[in-house]
Amino acid sequence: MNLSLGYNFGILVAVLVGALVGLGIIALLFRLKIMDLTFDERQERARGQAYKYGFWTLMTCLLLYGFSDMVLGRWCDVIAGVMLCAGAALIVFGSVCIMKDAYLSLKEKPRTIMILLTVVGSLNLAIGIMNWKNGRVVQDGILTFGAANGICGLMVLVILAVYVVNYLLANRGDAE
Amino acid sequence: MKNLRLKSARAALDMSQQQLADAVGVSRQTINAIEKGDYNPTIKLCLAICKALGKTLDELFWEET
Repeated sequence: MNLSLGYNFGILVAVLVGALVGLGIIALLFRLKIMDLTFDERQERARGQAYKYGFWTLMTCLLLYGFSDMVLGRWCDVIAGVMLCAGAALIVFGSVCIMKDAYLSLKEKPRTIMILLTVVGSLNLAIGIMNWKNGRVVQDGILTFGAANGICGLMVLVILAVYVVNYLLANRGDAE
Repeated sequence: MKNLRLKSARAALDMSQQQLADAVGVSRQTINAIEKGDYNPTIKLCLAICKALGKTLDELFWEET
Protein backbone atom coordinates (compact mmCIF):
# COMPACT_ATOMS: atom_id res chain seq x y z
CA MET A 1 0.00 0.00 0.00
CA ASN A 2 2.00 2.99 -1.31
CA LEU A 3 0.55 6.31 -0.28
CA SER A 4 1.73 9.62 -1.70
CA LEU A 5 3.58 12.20 0.37
CA GLY A 6 0.64 14.57 -0.10
CA TYR A 7 -1.79 11.99 1.34
CA ASN A 8 0.43 11.39 4.37
CA PHE A 9 0.86 15.14 4.87
CA GLY A 10 -2.93 15.53 4.70
CA ILE A 11 -3.38 12.83 7.34
CA LEU A 12 -0.80 14.56 9.57
CA VAL A 13 -2.56 17.93 9.22
CA ALA A 14 -5.95 16.29 9.92
CA VAL A 15 -4.57 14.62 13.06
CA LEU A 16 -3.02 17.89 14.28
CA VAL A 17 -6.24 19.84 13.64
CA GLY A 18 -8.22 17.10 15.42
CA ALA A 19 -5.84 17.22 18.37
CA LEU A 20 -6.11 21.02 18.56
CA VAL A 21 -9.92 20.89 18.46
CA GLY A 22 -9.86 18.17 21.15
CA LEU A 23 -7.57 20.26 23.34
CA GLY A 24 -9.83 23.28 22.84
CA ILE A 25 -12.91 21.29 23.92
CA ILE A 26 -11.07 19.94 26.99
CA ALA A 27 -9.91 23.48 27.91
CA LEU A 28 -13.51 24.68 27.58
CA LEU A 29 -14.75 21.84 29.83
CA PHE A 30 -12.17 22.85 32.46
CA ARG A 31 -13.20 26.49 32.18
CA LEU A 32 -16.88 25.57 32.61
CA LYS A 33 -15.90 23.47 35.67
CA ILE A 34 -17.37 20.34 34.08
CA MET A 35 -13.91 18.76 34.29
CA ASP A 36 -11.55 19.31 37.20
CA LEU A 37 -8.37 17.79 38.64
CA THR A 38 -8.73 18.43 42.39
CA PHE A 39 -8.29 15.15 44.21
CA ASP A 40 -7.90 14.41 47.92
CA GLU A 41 -4.98 12.44 49.39
CA ARG A 42 -6.71 9.03 49.23
CA GLN A 43 -7.70 9.63 45.61
CA GLU A 44 -4.17 10.76 44.67
CA ARG A 45 -2.78 7.56 46.16
CA ALA A 46 -5.38 5.38 44.44
CA ARG A 47 -4.71 7.13 41.12
CA GLY A 48 -1.00 6.49 41.59
CA GLN A 49 -1.74 2.77 41.88
CA ALA A 50 -4.02 2.98 38.86
CA TYR A 51 -1.25 4.68 36.83
CA LYS A 52 1.05 1.82 37.80
CA TYR A 53 -1.41 -0.82 36.59
CA GLY A 54 -2.07 1.20 33.42
CA PHE A 55 1.67 1.55 32.75
CA TRP A 56 2.34 -2.19 33.06
CA THR A 57 -0.69 -2.94 30.90
CA LEU A 58 0.73 -0.61 28.23
CA MET A 59 4.15 -2.29 28.45
CA THR A 60 2.60 -5.77 28.17
CA CYS A 61 0.34 -4.80 25.27
CA LEU A 62 3.19 -3.15 23.34
CA LEU A 63 5.35 -6.24 23.78
CA LEU A 64 2.48 -8.51 22.71
CA TYR A 65 1.80 -6.26 19.71
CA GLY A 66 5.47 -6.31 18.66
CA PHE A 67 5.66 -10.06 19.16
CA SER A 68 2.45 -10.67 17.18
CA ASP A 69 3.76 -8.47 14.35
CA MET A 70 6.95 -10.51 14.28
CA VAL A 71 5.22 -13.90 14.37
CA LEU A 72 2.02 -13.26 12.37
CA GLY A 73 3.32 -10.55 10.07
CA ARG A 74 1.73 -7.13 9.55
CA TRP A 75 -1.89 -7.32 10.72
CA CYS A 76 -2.42 -3.66 11.59
CA ASP A 77 -0.93 -0.20 11.01
CA VAL A 78 1.58 0.83 13.67
CA ILE A 79 -0.66 3.75 14.72
CA ALA A 80 -3.69 1.43 15.01
CA GLY A 81 -1.63 -1.03 17.06
CA VAL A 82 -0.45 1.74 19.37
CA MET A 83 -4.07 2.96 19.70
CA LEU A 84 -5.13 -0.56 20.74
CA CYS A 85 -2.37 -0.75 23.37
CA ALA A 86 -3.12 2.75 24.71
CA GLY A 87 -6.84 1.92 24.77
CA ALA A 88 -6.23 -1.22 26.84
CA ALA A 89 -3.99 0.73 29.27
CA LEU A 90 -6.57 3.51 29.63
CA ILE A 91 -9.35 0.99 30.28
CA VAL A 92 -7.25 -0.54 33.09
CA PHE A 93 -6.37 2.90 34.50
CA GLY A 94 -9.99 4.10 34.36
CA SER A 95 -11.43 0.90 35.82
CA VAL A 96 -8.98 0.84 38.75
CA CYS A 97 -9.70 4.53 39.47
CA ILE A 98 -13.45 3.89 39.35
CA MET A 99 -13.28 0.84 41.63
CA LYS A 100 -11.19 2.81 44.14
CA ASP A 101 -13.58 5.81 44.03
CA ALA A 102 -10.85 8.01 42.58
CA TYR A 103 -12.10 8.63 39.05
CA LEU A 104 -14.08 11.78 39.74
CA SER A 105 -12.41 14.78 41.33
CA LEU A 106 -13.93 16.59 44.29
CA LYS A 107 -15.80 19.05 42.08
CA GLU A 108 -17.03 16.76 39.30
CA LYS A 109 -20.62 15.55 39.29
CA PRO A 110 -21.30 11.87 38.48
CA ARG A 111 -24.27 12.59 36.21
CA THR A 112 -22.37 15.21 34.15
CA ILE A 113 -19.42 12.86 33.67
CA MET A 114 -21.72 9.97 32.69
CA ILE A 115 -23.41 12.20 30.07
CA LEU A 116 -20.00 13.38 28.81
CA LEU A 117 -18.69 9.80 28.52
CA THR A 118 -21.90 8.71 26.74
CA VAL A 119 -21.64 11.56 24.20
CA VAL A 120 -17.91 11.08 23.54
CA GLY A 121 -18.21 7.28 23.35
CA SER A 122 -21.28 7.29 21.11
CA LEU A 123 -19.86 9.91 18.72
CA ASN A 124 -16.59 8.04 18.30
CA LEU A 125 -18.36 4.71 17.89
CA ALA A 126 -20.69 6.22 15.27
CA ILE A 127 -17.71 7.59 13.30
CA GLY A 128 -16.02 4.19 13.71
CA ILE A 129 -19.08 2.41 12.27
CA MET A 130 -19.19 4.90 9.36
CA ASN A 131 -15.51 4.22 8.67
CA TRP A 132 -16.21 0.48 8.80
CA LYS A 133 -19.07 0.80 6.30
CA ASN A 134 -16.88 2.89 3.98
CA GLY A 135 -14.19 0.19 4.10
CA ARG A 136 -11.60 2.41 5.76
CA VAL A 137 -11.07 0.25 8.86
CA VAL A 138 -9.56 -2.82 7.17
CA GLN A 139 -7.62 -2.36 3.91
CA ASP A 140 -5.80 -5.29 2.25
CA GLY A 141 -6.42 -7.34 5.39
CA ILE A 142 -4.68 -4.77 7.61
CA LEU A 143 -6.35 -2.83 10.42
CA THR A 144 -5.75 0.83 9.58
CA PHE A 145 -5.80 4.22 11.29
CA GLY A 146 -9.50 4.39 10.34
CA ALA A 147 -10.15 2.11 13.34
CA ALA A 148 -8.97 4.81 15.78
CA ASN A 149 -12.45 6.29 16.35
CA GLY A 150 -14.00 2.88 16.88
CA ILE A 151 -11.26 1.92 19.35
CA CYS A 152 -11.73 5.23 21.25
CA GLY A 153 -15.51 4.79 21.26
CA LEU A 154 -15.30 1.24 22.60
CA MET A 155 -12.75 2.27 25.23
CA VAL A 156 -14.91 5.13 26.50
CA LEU A 157 -18.05 2.97 26.54
CA VAL A 158 -16.25 0.20 28.50
CA ILE A 159 -15.11 2.81 31.06
CA LEU A 160 -18.69 4.17 31.18
CA ALA A 161 -20.06 0.65 31.75
CA VAL A 162 -17.61 0.05 34.63
CA TYR A 163 -18.54 3.46 36.05
CA VAL A 164 -22.30 2.82 35.88
CA VAL A 165 -22.02 -0.66 37.46
CA ASN A 166 -19.77 0.71 40.24
CA TYR A 167 -22.11 3.68 40.79
CA LEU A 168 -25.15 1.42 41.13
CA LEU A 169 -23.33 -1.02 43.45
CA ALA A 170 -21.97 1.83 45.62
CA ASN A 171 -25.41 3.39 45.96
CA ARG A 172 -26.78 0.02 47.07
CA GLY A 173 -23.93 -0.76 49.49
CA ASP A 174 -23.22 2.63 51.08
CA ALA A 175 -24.39 2.89 54.64
CA GLU A 176 -23.93 6.29 56.27
CA MET B 1 -10.03 -1.82 62.04
CA LYS B 2 -13.19 0.30 62.00
CA ASN B 3 -12.96 3.79 63.47
CA LEU B 4 -16.18 3.81 65.48
CA ARG B 5 -15.04 6.82 67.55
CA LEU B 6 -14.91 8.97 64.46
CA LYS B 7 -18.32 7.76 63.36
CA SER B 8 -19.90 8.41 66.77
CA ALA B 9 -18.23 11.86 67.08
CA ARG B 10 -19.65 12.78 63.68
CA ALA B 11 -23.07 11.42 64.57
CA ALA B 12 -23.02 13.32 67.87
CA LEU B 13 -22.77 16.57 65.90
CA ASP B 14 -25.52 15.32 63.57
CA MET B 15 -23.17 15.58 60.62
CA SER B 16 -23.39 13.42 57.53
CA GLN B 17 -20.27 11.96 55.89
CA GLN B 18 -20.76 14.46 53.07
CA GLN B 19 -20.88 17.42 55.47
CA LEU B 20 -17.71 16.30 57.24
CA ALA B 21 -16.04 15.67 53.87
CA ASP B 22 -16.95 19.18 52.70
CA ALA B 23 -15.67 20.65 55.97
CA VAL B 24 -12.23 19.05 55.61
CA GLY B 25 -11.98 19.19 51.80
CA VAL B 26 -12.06 15.51 50.86
CA SER B 27 -14.56 13.23 49.13
CA ARG B 28 -17.37 11.47 51.00
CA GLN B 29 -15.82 8.14 50.00
CA THR B 30 -12.62 9.09 51.83
CA ILE B 31 -14.50 9.71 55.09
CA ASN B 32 -16.35 6.43 54.55
CA ALA B 33 -13.02 4.61 53.96
CA ILE B 34 -11.52 6.09 57.16
CA GLU B 35 -14.57 5.06 59.23
CA LYS B 36 -14.49 1.57 57.74
CA GLY B 37 -10.75 1.28 58.43
CA ASP B 38 -9.92 0.88 54.74
CA TYR B 39 -7.71 3.99 54.61
CA ASN B 40 -5.16 5.44 57.04
CA PRO B 41 -5.30 9.24 56.70
CA THR B 42 -2.22 11.46 56.90
CA ILE B 43 -1.64 13.48 60.06
CA LYS B 44 -2.73 16.59 58.13
CA LEU B 45 -6.15 15.10 57.39
CA CYS B 46 -6.46 13.69 60.93
CA LEU B 47 -5.90 17.20 62.33
CA ALA B 48 -8.45 18.70 59.93
CA ILE B 49 -11.03 16.09 61.01
CA CYS B 50 -10.26 16.71 64.70
CA LYS B 51 -10.74 20.47 64.23
CA ALA B 52 -14.00 19.96 62.35
CA LEU B 53 -15.37 17.66 65.06
CA GLY B 54 -13.89 19.54 68.06
CA LYS B 55 -11.95 16.50 69.27
CA THR B 56 -8.29 15.71 69.94
CA LEU B 57 -6.13 13.29 67.97
CA ASP B 58 -6.09 10.92 70.95
CA GLU B 59 -9.86 10.91 71.20
CA LEU B 60 -10.38 10.02 67.54
CA PHE B 61 -7.31 8.18 66.33
CA TRP B 62 -5.25 6.75 69.21
CA GLU B 63 -5.45 2.97 69.37
CA GLU B 64 -5.25 1.48 72.89
CA THR B 65 -3.12 -1.67 72.80
